[in-house]
Formats: sequence, structure tokens, C-alpha cells
Amino acid sequence: MQLIDLKAILQHTVSSAYGDLVTRPTGKAVRDGIEAALDDLETEPVAVIDFSTVRLLDYSCADEIVGKLLLERGGARVFLLQGVTASHCEAIEPVLRRHKLAAIARDREGRVRMLGDVPEGARKVLSALTDRVEPGSPADNDALVLPGGTAKELLQLLQSSGPLPPDPADKPSAGAPE
Amino acid sequence: MTRVVNVPGHFDDRSFEQFAKACGDMTDDRLLFDAHATQWASPFGLVGLLAAGQWAAEHGPERPLLTVPSDRDVAHYWGRAGFFAHAADWYELHGKVPRVTPATSSDVLLAITPVRGTDDVHGVVESVQERSAAILSSELGLEATATMGFAMALSEACQNIVEHAGTSGWVAVQAYHWRRRLGRRVVVIAVADAGIGFRRSLEATQASRFGDRWSDATALEAALFQGASRFRDPGRGQGLGGIARYVNRWSGKLAVRSGAARISIVPSWDDDQPLTEGLTLFPGSQVLMIVPAQEAQ
Repeated sequence: MQLIDLKAILQHTVSSAYGDLVTRPTGKAVRDGIEAALDDLETEPVAVIDFSTVRLLDYSCADEIVGKLLLERGGARVFLLQGVTASHCEAIEPVLRRHKLAAIARDREGRVRMLGDVPEGARKVLSALTDRVEPGSPADNDALVLPGGTAKELLQLLQSSGPLPPDPADKPSAGAPE
Repeated sequence: MTRVVNVPGHFDDRSFEQFAKACGDMTDDRLLFDAHATQWASPFGLVGLLAAGQWAAEHGPERPLLTVPSDRDVAHYWGRAGFFAHAADWYELHGKVPRVTPATSSDVLLAITPVRGTDDVHGVVESVQERSAAILSSELGLEATATMGFAMALSEACQNIVEHAGTSGWVAVQAYHWRRRLGRRVVVIAVADAGIGFRRSLEATQASRFGDRWSDATALEAALFQGASRFRDPGRGQGLGGIARYVNRWSGKLAVRSGAARISIVPSWDDDQPLTEGLTLFPGSQVLMIVPAQEAQ
């Protein structure tokens, strides 16, 4: 997986004096930096955008860095937002909803959550997929209770809207007629 | 001819309309802004006074005059808040200007600071974060996440100037005890500019949707509640909505005045009107955000 350190990109593309991801021009410059890094590693299917060293992210920067990046590049690969804080999520969530996008985020304690425009059921599916539950434990039984077929539909929704990679079995094999 | 504009004795967001009315049309006569009897001015009053001075200097026949408050303590406070450092750019000052450097203290979290571009927004956010964190959590009883939200709101309020005013503006952040009005401690962000205002900024992209109803008031409603922007980019216009969510969450107040209208998100502790039209025309936009100490559960 390709790891993209936002603070490093901020300091490389804008100024080493800045510590916060605020203002739209800053966001655009950082997005340009991310896109250059992505171009260098075109074959990586998953890109991890690392917020661990970012203190503050405002709405304008969130729109440039997350919203526009996913709009433009989300179809080509899966993005994971890593090291997010609650305040980062407050900026990212409305941006994703506005663009009708979704993304998977992992906070600094390792908890995974879904951000953006996704139904509650899809959030539950993701929780069931990512929570570390011992098989057979009571928590395992409670993890996901969905009507038949719904879980699969939600999984497909997560795959089609970007947060999850497509099922390899759905891809046509090499040489097969399309 | 010189016309006198009386600065209210207690100059804040409530008496601002009295001030705007006194300003009237600032293009005909040379103006003398008389603050000699002013006893108190909030950050909103001070940045508003700077916006009036800039407008009068740029559009009036001559640079306006300003009499300094005669009360030594009041003048000293204006100096500490950073007012005179910027007032000298627009006003011919009369009276004794105190020799104090604008400083941060327990109350002045951010002295009046010009906002001209992106660098200024970075500087403002950087300098306010640590100081406001201590006050927001220990004195106002807000959760730790509220500190970041406060800086986000501050950043977006300042960016409104850079993106939409067409000129520079000012921001100030202060904490004080609101004895009479609320009986609690508050942190206040005041932002003002003498630019083109919301109606003109949004006109090209939004006016046709409203037809004859297009006005300062509908422009403010579109910006605050519909996320309207002068840019056609669908990602634009989220800043004010974000500020509104923040003040709602912490029982705060947001008021935005532009042109001849004012729109407010009014908390239960305040009796302001959600929307006021037909005010005296005043240049630019003025934003007030108040976050009060949280009441014990």
C-alpha cells in the first residue's frame, strides 16, 4: 500500500512554516502533491492518506484534499484515510456527503469507520468486516444481523461507491470475452 | 464640510445599527468619527469601526478623522486590542494615542489582525489554537474536540474575506465575562471587511434563482442555509454552514451582517431576530461568533 504523509506534502508543496491544513489554496497545492505521488505509483490499488501528523483540517482543505481527490481519482483506486481525529472527521464528513461520496477512515486508535454518504446498513457491514471479534463469541453473533441478500447488496454498494475494492471474482478473466 | 459620526458609548453588535445609521452615506462629506466619549467597545465594534474608516477613506472626499476615547483606560484597552495600529492606516487620529503594543493576554486571544490573503489565515489559526484551547476547555467547559472546531470556524470566517470581499479585512478574538447579558464567560470572534458584501459576491451565480426577491437578506440566507457560493464548483460554500453547525452544537451565536440585512443563528439565551431586513446600508460584511461557557449538566 502506498502511504502518503499529508504533513510532509504540505511542507514540501506549500511551506515548512505551516502546520495546519487550512484554506483552499493550501488544500489545492496539497492535492496536487498527492496526485504527483499517485502518478509515481500507478499500479498500487490502495492509497493510504495519512493524517497522523495533521493537527487541523478545515472544510475548504477537506474539500480540496479529500472531496476533489476522490471525485477525480476514486474510480481508479481505493483510498484509506488513516490517523484521522474526530475533528478531521467533522470536516471530511459533510464534504463527502455533499459530493455523494464515501470513504473508509481509520483513527489513531485503529478503529475503522465509514465516512460520507452511505446508508446505516453499509456502515454496519463495514463494522462487521473490520471489528476484531473472536469467532463464536457473543459479540460475533451481534456483529451483523441483516435480512438475507441485504448484506450482499450493501457490500456491492461499498464496492461501487469507492470505499471497498471490487470483488476479483467479478472481473472478467484475461482473454475472456467481455 | 465635515460631518460628525458619533461612536456609541457602549459600542457592540447591538449598538452597531445606531452607528451604521450615523455613518449614513460616507461618500459626500469628510467624516469625523467621534469616539471621545466611548466607554467600551467590543471586538465587533472595533473591527466595524476599522471597516467604516477604510470605506470612508477610499470612497469619501478626504481621509476621515477619529477622536480617541478620552478615558485613559478605554484608550489603553483599544491599544492593547490592536486597534490603533491599524486605525492609523485609514484615520487621521486626534487625541492621545496610548503607547501600548498590541498584545495577547488572558482576554485578548488575538489582537485585531488584518486578513489580506491565505498566509494571514494560516497565521491567525496558528496563533489562536494553543491559547484558545486552554480557555475553551478549562474556562468554558468545552470538550477537547471543540478547540479544533473553533479554529476551523475561525479559519472559514477569515477565508470569507479572502475569497469574497474583494478587499482586505480584520479579525479579532477575545474572551470576556458577559455579566449583564449572559452571566457567563464567552469567547468571541469578530470579523469585518469593507468589501463588496454577500449580495454582490453571489449575484452572478445566485440572483437568477431568486428573481425579484434577490436582496441582501436572500443572499445571506442562500449562503448560510443553502451553501451558496459565487463559484460554480459544487464543493464550494461549505464554510458558513460549518460555522453554523459549530455554534449550534455549543449553544453559541452566529450573526452575519451584510449590506442592509443581518442573519443570525439565535441560541436560547439570546433574543436577537433570526433575520432583519431594511437596515441602514453598511459596506462589506461583518461576522460575529460567540461561544459561551457551557452550563453544568
